[in-house]
Amino acid sequence: MPKVQYINPDEVRKPGQIEFKPIPVNQYNKTIEDEKENFSNNDLIRIFHDMVVIREFETMLNLIKTRGEYNEVPYNHPGPAHLSIGQEAAAVGMAYTLGVEDFIFGSHRSHGEILAKGLSAISKLSDEQLEKIMDSHFDGITAAPVKAGHTGTTKELAIKFLIYGTLAEVFARETGFNRGLGGSMHAFFTPFGVYPNNAIVGGSGDISVGAALYKKVNRKPGIVVANIGDASMACGPVWEGLTFATMDQFNELWEGDMKGGLPLIINIMNNQYGMGGQTCGETMGYNIAARIGAGLNDDQMHAERVDGYNPLAVIDAYKRKKKILEEKRGPVLLDVLTYRYSGHSPSDASSYRSKEEVEAWEAQDSIIWFGKELVKAGVATEEQLEAIKTSTTELITYALKLAIDDEVSPIMNMKKHPNLIGEMMFSNQSVDKMEDRPVEVNHPMEENPRVQQLAKKERFMFDANGKAHSKIKTYGLRDGIFEAIVDRFYKDPTLIAYGEENRDWGGAFAVYRGLTEALPYHRLFNSPISEASIVGTAIGYAMCGGRVIPEIMYCDFLGRAGDEVFNQLPKWQAMSGNVLKMPVVIRVSVGSKYGAQHSQDWTALAAHIPGLKVVFPVTPYDAKGLMNTALQGTDPVIFFESQRLYDIGEQFHKEGVPAEYYELPLGEPDIKKEGSDLTILTIGATLYRALDAAKTLEEKYGVSAEVIDARSLVPFNYEPVIESIKKTGRIVISGDASARGSFLRDLASNITELTFDYLDAPPVVVGSRNWITPAHELEDYFFPQPEWIIDAIHERIVPLKGHVCENDFTEAEQLDRNARGI
Amino acid sequence: MATPVMMPRQGQSVESCILGQWHKEVGEEVNEGDILFSYETDKASFEEEAKESGILLATFFEEGDEIPVLTNVAVIGKQGESIEEFKPGASEGEAEKAPEAITEEAPKVIEFEVEEDQVGARLRISPLARNMAEKMGVDIQILKGTGPHGRIIARDIEEAAQKPAAKAVIETPAPKAAPVSKPTPAVVLETGDDFEVKAIPNIRKLIANAMHQSLQNSAQLTHHMSADARQLMKLRKKFKAQLEAGEIKQNVTINDLVCYAVIRALEKYPQANTHFLGDKMRWFKKVHLGLAVDTERGLMVPALRNADDLSITGLSSQLKQLSTAARAGNVNPDLLSPAAATFTVSNLGNYGVEMFTPVINLPQTAILGVCTIVPRPKELEDGVYGFVPMMGLSLTYDHQALDGGEATLFLAEIKNQIENLQV
Repeated sequence: MPKVQYINPDEVRKPGQIEFKPIPVNQYNKTIEDEKENFSNNDLIRIFHDMVVIREFETMLNLIKTRGEYNEVPYNHPGPAHLSIGQEAAAVGMAYTLGVEDFIFGSHRSHGEILAKGLSAISKLSDEQLEKIMDSHFDGITAAPVKAGHTGTTKELAIKFLIYGTLAEVFARETGFNRGLGGSMHAFFTPFGVYPNNAIVGGSGDISVGAALYKKVNRKPGIVVANIGDASMACGPVWEGLTFATMDQFNELWEGDMKGGLPLIINIMNNQYGMGGQTCGETMGYNIAARIGAGLNDDQMHAERVDGYNPLAVIDAYKRKKKILEEKRGPVLLDVLTYRYSGHSPSDASSYRSKEEVEAWEAQDSIIWFGKELVKAGVATEEQLEAIKTSTTELITYALKLAIDDEVSPIMNMKKHPNLIGEMMFSNQSVDKMEDRPVEVNHPMEENPRVQQLAKKERFMFDANGKAHSKIKTYGLRDGIFEAIVDRFYKDPTLIAYGEENRDWGGAFAVYRGLTEALPYHRLFNSPISEASIVGTAIGYAMCGGRVIPEIMYCDFLGRAGDEVFNQLPKWQAMSGNVLKMPVVIRVSVGSKYGAQHSQDWTALAAHIPGLKVVFPVTPYDAKGLMNTALQGTDPVIFFESQRLYDIGEQFHKEGVPAEYYELPLGEPDIKKEGSDLTILTIGATLYRALDAAKTLEEKYGVSAEVIDARSLVPFNYEPVIESIKKTGRIVISGDASARGSFLRDLASNITELTFDYLDAPPVVVGSRNWITPAHELEDYFFPQPEWIIDAIHERIVPLKGHVCENDFTEAEQLDRNARGI
Repeated sequence: MATPVMMPRQGQSVESCILGQWHKEVGEEVNEGDILFSYETDKASFEEEAKESGILLATFFEEGDEIPVLTNVAVIGKQGESIEEFKPGASEGEAEKAPEAITEEAPKVIEFEVEEDQVGARLRISPLARNMAEKMGVDIQILKGTGPHGRIIARDIEEAAQKPAAKAVIETPAPKAAPVSKPTPAVVLETGDDFEVKAIPNIRKLIANAMHQSLQNSAQLTHHMSADARQLMKLRKKFKAQLEAGEIKQNVTINDLVCYAVIRALEKYPQANTHFLGDKMRWFKKVHLGLAVDTERGLMVPALRNADDLSITGLSSQLKQLSTAARAGNVNPDLLSPAAATFTVSNLGNYGVEMFTPVINLPQTAILGVCTIVPRPKELEDGVYGFVPMMGLSLTYDHQALDGGEATLFLAEIKNQIENLQV
């Protein structure tokens, strides 16, 4: 809460009532005759044409799925096909007014939107631009099959390219828009302004908000449209995206030209079903989805219901709403009413609806109706329209034949290149700034109070006599993170950071203290307490070309951003065929002292998901170096920090933490103490407990322990650990995560496989108990303690003379705990 | 004056030994205590140390020669001294003097603890320790591990390598047993495309001959029976607890208890405690129990004299000494003679054998094979069945000496003793 905003009790306690403005429902009532002043005949025919193309494309897929052939071309497509037959007018109406620079996001049912937006973009792009796009996408690989033997115009070629690129993608061909790695539910093509469609219901609900944020913060032209289904309005992340998109601060606190709402339209493609559940009457309570806007902000999100069976009604709405966005009064919510004749998927028996219902909608079919209207208004003849249908069938047949031809459209040769997908998981680039332009900051860095304060701090924890400096004088871990981040803010104009309490508070753990002074609101702000939107918007921001640091205040809250962290962030680089980059560094603070829901180390969850880089530095030197590297990269990094260590000084890097910029490679474990008899490998803050254990081992038992700090989990270079084990033959792996299923176990398993012949005992894992994290007073019974490590060594690795165990590390106990699941 | 070196006599029954390997060459300086040569009897290998310092002036035999015991095999003295008078067969008078050089000291005893449940169980050793042992030439078979569960770990190998003596507690210094882990590699006689013909060691020849003789010259058959092992296991548990409590020093094993029961049965059935000599039988008043021991060299059956005089702990202790000596290859050869024992027990229970037909050590009349303990259903009380640990017993007897009925009664007595053993 910023101090400039005064919550006046006299004001907020006043009686009164909330007034809602009427929400328009299907208010459009113009005829084609009326619209002739706004559309040329060609425009109207093109609208018809685009709807026919979508209908035929989806019909073809439906026949392929249900009958195994289309127009006498047989094919077996084992993958998904969520079709939108019946929804064509809504898609074409949505896309018609959009410029190439406007972005759309979609759902699992977005073939129609891809084609509509693609056709719209093709109509607006010049031949030169189209040639360039086709030739540059994967160096012309996608365009080559349609270019061969093409005789018509460039625009005709571009349409073939659009149909073919989409279909090849649906059929997992290497020539598809995303090398066949996205498929039906994820296909997209950014040069036409088509951004990722999403197989998770509501997946675009927060990502699209981030894209709009990107456009706003970086002053990019265009708007963002989120095409999401009516049923997705029940999803938490969608609601979180809406709250993020409607934050007051855009109007109240953001300054200068940044003041104003997001350029975003939440476009509910309301086909009235969520799979088989009827959103109106069964699974939701809004009756009319446009009602939702009224609950979000004073503007009621300018929401209205639009008749999605009339393309002109949708176009009309878009013209009006785009104006609102231009006036920075967004975001907008549209409830575009439509209906799908096809099932949820081809396996859908439509048991949830009557034949009469489907037939009634078919009787009002938008393509038939619109065609008749065109003929009636003298815009086109029936023959003309028939010709469009015939040529479309030919076009689709042509694209189908091409897309299923294994010679022309091969699938990836994984036999020949077994690591092809592996190589696409990360982009591994080193980029100073995502865009080259001046950074927006409030003052030169050297004038920043925090920067000035840090200049006076001791960058090594101990003085010449080995005595620790006072805490207040010591440069701590939080300072290392701050220095890396402030440096990047002054380098990369696209970098923004947000999360809960990030601005005035400086973050719950004071890492950002000083940034508030340095940065304008739009580069550092407080988000709603909604982790899904924090991470989801960051994904949208990054996939459009920005760099971003979202913050999760406690690791335990990662679950709140589960879909975003596990399904979205890690997937898009590879699913896009490496078209997208994902420079997102999520700061995640691992807590303690606050009990079961604020003290968990969930590094294993992040490490388990392919596509994320995971680091957990625990010294100021490592934290600064790894943060610098993470921010220099183009991959998603989950950056874990320990709340136990924010003020810890640098104890290992004798020269102290350098004031200047330096990078430490991700994936390199670091030997923090050398030893010869035994290795202790730690993740996170346990390093310091392991060092205590090493001290006791040496002084009391004459065992020289080598202590290695993993620093990173993904990637992870095992070589230094293997070298250590070659020397010591013994290893304990310890960290604060509950042991079962932890990354500690993964390390142990790999180490066993890689160093078996050098081992004098099995690698032993000393993790936290498989319990709730108890209160601070009981934490020593939950988190690994130095004595645990020594007991485990004595019991499982090498009996220590005279040692008496306090904790039970016997095999019997291990068996029993596992048998009982605790 | 130069001193002759004789082929020692290892036990009264040994008439000749085979020269294994010269460790010194003629002309080489020899210090007292240096190993001069290795040699083997029928059953074991030994090393002979120099009793004098000087120059090895002459050797009279080649490796592999069979040499009558107490024959001069070499001469140690000063350069230029005469050796002629020491040449074998040179002078009867000189040879007569030799016996004083013979050592009759007890063979080296290697002590190591083998827990009952480790006998035949797999050796626990870390991969690192195994690799180190290979590189450093440490014999892991005789090491006691100090890791968890007695696992042999790196430090055990290091210790053994640093102090080779430490791996074996030597009670008497000579003669030294040859390292048991390194049986002399077999000589390849012929090499074919897909085979090699290798010489077989002496002991193998002896076993082969004895086994063949046994089957050729007797009328053997085997009866099988099983005994409820609950009492045995109870006793074993009791002794184990006593051992751990420090009340007794001897680790009394299941096998010890079975032997104890067999001795009691033999006392009741003296016709099984006999030697069959064709037209007569030798009936023994004492039980000399033969114990089949599997060693690296092959099967050995040393006899425990007067086993019927021993208490259970005494029996246990002596059986262990005997088997240890047999494995180390330095058991008194006299005890290895088939005639030294009156009855033999062969225990394959630790290897999981459920039933077998042991071959009689002629001239003994019978041999008992002890098999593994398996749970078998048994009627516990009227109509109530339960699984009971049952120990298999396989008695092979010479039908020339015993009839089936006698043999069965004897076997049943062993079973009875086992089931009701009191110690």
